[in-house]
Amino acid sequence: MATETPTSTPGSQPSQKSMTKAERRELQEKQRAAKLAQPADTLNKPKSKPKPPAAQKKYPPGPAEANISSADAFRSHTKDATSAPAMDSLAEASKSRSLRIFSHFGLPKHGPGVKGDIHPCIVRLALQFSEFKICGANARCIATLIAFKTVIQDYQTPPNNTLSRHLMTHLSPQITHLVSARPMSVTMGNAIRQLKLEISGSDIDMPEQDAKDLLCQKIDDYIRDRIIIADEVIQDLACTKIKDGDTILTYARSSVVEKVLLSAYKQGKRFSVIVVDSRPLLEVSWTLSDDSLLPPPPPIPCTYALLPALPSLITEATCVMLGAHSLHSNGAVFSRAGTALVAMMAKQHSVPVLVCCETYKSSEGVMLDGFSKNELAPSHLFRTTLPISPQGANLEILNPLYDLTPPSCITAVVTEVGLIPPSSISSIPTALGKINL
Amino acid sequence: MASETPNTPTLRAVETLAWKLRRRQIVGSRATALETLLVLRQVISKSRFSNMEQLVSIIRSVGRRLVEAQPKEHSVGNTVRKVLHHIREEYHTATRGSAAASYSAFSISKFVLLGQPRKQTALPKTESKGSLKENDPDDPDSFARSLKPVLMEAIQDVLDELETVYDNVSKNAQNHIHSDEIILTLGMSKTVEAFLISAAHNRNYTVMVLETAPSYGGRDMAKALSGAGISTFLVPDSSLYGLMSRVNKVILGAHAILANGGMFAITGSLLAATAAHAHSTPVVVCAGQFKLTPLWNLYHEYGALDFGDPSQVLGFEEDSLVDKVDVVNPFYDYLQPNLIDAFITNDGDHPPSSIYRLIKETYDDEDNEL
Repeated sequence: MATETPTSTPGSQPSQKSMTKAERRELQEKQRAAKLAQPADTLNKPKSKPKPPAAQKKYPPGPAEANISSADAFRSHTKDATSAPAMDSLAEASKSRSLRIFSHFGLPKHGPGVKGDIHPCIVRLALQFSEFKICGANARCIATLIAFKTVIQDYQTPPNNTLSRHLMTHLSPQITHLVSARPMSVTMGNAIRQLKLEISGSDIDMPEQDAKDLLCQKIDDYIRDRIIIADEVIQDLACTKIKDGDTILTYARSSVVEKVLLSAYKQGKRFSVIVVDSRPLLEVSWTLSDDSLLPPPPPIPCTYALLPALPSLITEATCVMLGAHSLHSNGAVFSRAGTALVAMMAKQHSVPVLVCCETYKSSEGVMLDGFSKNELAPSHLFRTTLPISPQGANLEILNPLYDLTPPSCITAVVTEVGLIPPSSISSIPTALGKINL
Repeated sequence: MASETPNTPTLRAVETLAWKLRRRQIVGSRATALETLLVLRQVISKSRFSNMEQLVSIIRSVGRRLVEAQPKEHSVGNTVRKVLHHIREEYHTATRGSAAASYSAFSISKFVLLGQPRKQTALPKTESKGSLKENDPDDPDSFARSLKPVLMEAIQDVLDELETVYDNVSKNAQNHIHSDEIILTLGMSKTVEAFLISAAHNRNYTVMVLETAPSYGGRDMAKALSGAGISTFLVPDSSLYGLMSRVNKVILGAHAILANGGMFAITGSLLAATAAHAHSTPVVVCAGQFKLTPLWNLYHEYGALDFGDPSQVLGFEEDSLVDKVDVVNPFYDYLQPNLIDAFITNDGDHPPSSIYRLIKETYDDEDNEL
């Protein structure tokens, strides 16, 4: 009864000869896994039909997708997702006569063709990512998770397959497509890792729709617990550090810092804000025009300046509040380019530096400088502000997006588990019991 | 006194320059220095004076007028001081001749007793009876007539120095830049541009230019450098810290070098110098000697004291914001001497600690207040 081999159903899959080497290996691995799983299945559910190998998909693997869809490839992909596109841009960079030390900076590939079975909402999201319509660690993470909810709801487990085993192979090309639009953020990586865990842990016996609903519920919980509630806790904690008459200096646009300032203002605290901004993104002018930082009436007294003016303004600040892209276990904060300069100047003038950051942004690796891993803003998007003639042979424009603030420049990190010194960031996963990471 | 009030065409030239300075139609330290010098030459050639004091007071009053018109352009005052210094020197050589030599002879005992000898100590006028006759009652113009040719020569010297300043600053460029180095610079400074281009004749290196918002002078700099065949990267100001770990040397321009070895420079210089300090990267300043200013800035962290047009930072197209947000656009940074490793001038390379000596040699103490 359970002896049926995959080769006995030749109609539903490409013949062995036409498969590539990788496809064949993948198939073999799945057969082996299926055989291992069968004894357990037969013990538990003697009546259930044996699982045909996963190779019998609804969509036969196209030659392009086959390699990526293997689980191993996906795992390595999430791990160093940002470095993967960097490798691609290496060829491009070396083509132009640039310094080798910049060759690892990841440039997003322009206009990635939609290949394979990509959900339309993912295609749309990728476009928004690549055009920086959705930008920022939190926004990107939430947008990705919400898009995945749609993908999961629209997903149909192919016959003779289980959701817990097949859904991830369905999701991985979607992730690959997103990453090809823009390197994955640490937040997205953490969230996707969590999602993967939930998928693989979902009960096989559960009806498909229930399982999908449960996964969506899990995603909602993740967004609520790790981002929204976390932000609220951070707001409460950071507000206690703002007093009447303070001058808060902030750099660029961090959603958390924005919320902190607004909620402190709603609590009746009267303080002023210095907003510092810089190219390439110039995010703040949008913020200011959103009127979000300027609640009526009376508005928070705001001063706006560009980054070079910082040394003249830092003397007036009583506190510096910054956002973060990710936290590293050595206490360094990876954030929008320019943040390190603000923290450095603040340290020099003995102004406390608070970094507002949810714990789901923590990454386990250690980073030593902002040069080793970075991302370049595509210059074609920001050309509007750059009235420069066509580049000469010797001139190149680089727009790094991130830099790394060393822990020595940070006074405290405001997380939902409290205000902690940067030296203790490494203990966050342990403090959370490592359940969610 | 007729000699105290300069005649009208001269006066008009002074006023024209004063207004140009005030309206910022002339900006940049070298341009203002040149214009000042030309006006001074006109003033000296046209004015009437019968002794040294009158001449000095004429030049000083012109200098005061110009400095008051634009106190931020320090090179105006510096040029006036330099001209005064040269005039006195010429006057002393003309009046005392060989007698001066014995006076300026150094002796250790005198040095210990009196401190460092100053060659510019003004002598009482009664001694100065050489070929020149001051306050000659018969011919009041005889003094001016005999002195003017030397004065013109002295001014020509200053002019020559100004005109060759870029060449002289950059003549040692290849000693400061080595092959395959990565140099960081910012803003648009003609001196730095000449320095880097001169170094590129012998060395093959890379320059990273910060855009230097809001003036974005770095873009012009990047164009100029890449046009000269130097491999150039234009980067936004925000990436400064991230790139600093790979930079070998920071080369800055100056607006004015102060007596304590600090300097005023375009905004962004302080950030770059501080980041370089944090990474222990050397900071080198290229500047002509006309930027040496006998001033101190000990207490103004706000190096600016001068603000640019806020619309460069946040334009009026953001109309909903204009009345809600304060926009600041400071023009200069003040860099403390401890952030600077060396000044490269047309008069050799100096550490910040010896700038005061250079200033003492260049100007007369009595001219520090014009």
